[in-house]
Amino acid sequence: MSAPFFKFGAFGDEASLVVAFAIGIGFGFFLERAGFGSARKLTDQFYLKDLAVLKVMFTAIVTAMLGIFYLSWMGFMDLSLVYFGSTYLVPQIVGGLILGVGFVVGGYCPGTSVVALATGKLDALVFLAGVTVGIFGFGEAWPAIAGFVNSTDLGPLTLPQAFGLRYGLVVFLVVVAALGAFKGAEAVERRMARREGAV
Amino acid sequence: MNISLASWSLPSKLALVALGLGALALFGDPYGGGAVTIQPRELAAMVQKEVDHVSVQELSDWVLQGRTDYRLIDLRDATAYAAYHIPTAENLLITELPGDSLARNEKIVLYSEGGIHSAQAWFLLQAEGYKGATILRGGLDEWNDRILHRAPAASTPTAGTLPPTPGATVAAPPAVKPPPPAAAPAAAPKKKKKEGC
Repeated sequence: MSAPFFKFGAFGDEASLVVAFAIGIGFGFFLERAGFGSARKLTDQFYLKDLAVLKVMFTAIVTAMLGIFYLSWMGFMDLSLVYFGSTYLVPQIVGGLILGVGFVVGGYCPGTSVVALATGKLDALVFLAGVTVGIFGFGEAWPAIAGFVNSTDLGPLTLPQAFGLRYGLVVFLVVVAALGAFKGAEAVERRMARREGAV
Repeated sequence: MNISLASWSLPSKLALVALGLGALALFGDPYGGGAVTIQPRELAAMVQKEVDHVSVQELSDWVLQGRTDYRLIDLRDATAYAAYHIPTAENLLITELPGDSLARNEKIVLYSEGGIHSAQAWFLLQAEGYKGATILRGGLDEWNDRILHRAPAASTPTAGTLPPTPGATVAAPPAVKPPPPAAAPAAAPKKKKKEGC
């Protein structure tokens, strides 16, 4: 049996929801354990005082990437059957900026706001109310913005395809970039701590 | 400077592991160099369970719903395609098949006049690792009968539209023909008519 299990018919639509639920709970649990149920901790990222978000997310990326790469290489997984969405270059840049502003102002991103609500944070409830309003607003505005949202469609694109590099080389470069980012993040944190101490 | 591993912190050790795996990845290929193993039993089971089929009713629903999560491939030649094809179909000959335009993670629906060409193309794609390839049951003939003309259930079995076999001695092809009458609900109540191009 090889992955992806759903594509190979190992379980049906209903069972996939149970699997998704279990994965979701696990995701939320580890976000909470990393301290991401706290808006203070999350926004410290933007003041360069605590770069845990960068470190946790980059660790997750490296772990998943290495896992997928080696499972596929060893034949436990068929990477060509894994679905991923299209790249819509400009709309995704704009969307990323909007999400970033929301993150700084609200103190959460969508996933961490759910985690925070689960641990009883009231500001997360307010944040999620905002998310809901945003979703409805987006839906209502759809006819006006559909053209933009679907523009600059590059299709499903991977980094090896985009840069014309070998898959393994991209994996190596991402690992090196992550380790460099961790090192840099620690240095920044130390410097900020010294400055705080000096004030 | 102490280089003994025991004195390293856990994050440093993990970083070393990641770096090692990253360096080893330089020599690997996650797509397995294109080698695909064909598993005859698995294919036979798919045929037996008929999970490799899409019915014309299902397809007409998809077309009407405007679904975009499948690729409909017309295997007939360009002239026949130009004369008529099922809405949303793309024209690809069996010789062009795996091609660059199809991805192995897509749901692919194949059709030809009857069912033989599409069945052959299905095997070809499965052998190349296109697990999402399916056949339109009964092909264009059944689409014409059931969706376009809404013929009463028993009127035209597909045999009528098959080209007469020239050499009577050649026996093989009909083995892959789908069983046309069984699948259709007799009443065929909510059939939709759909225009061509």
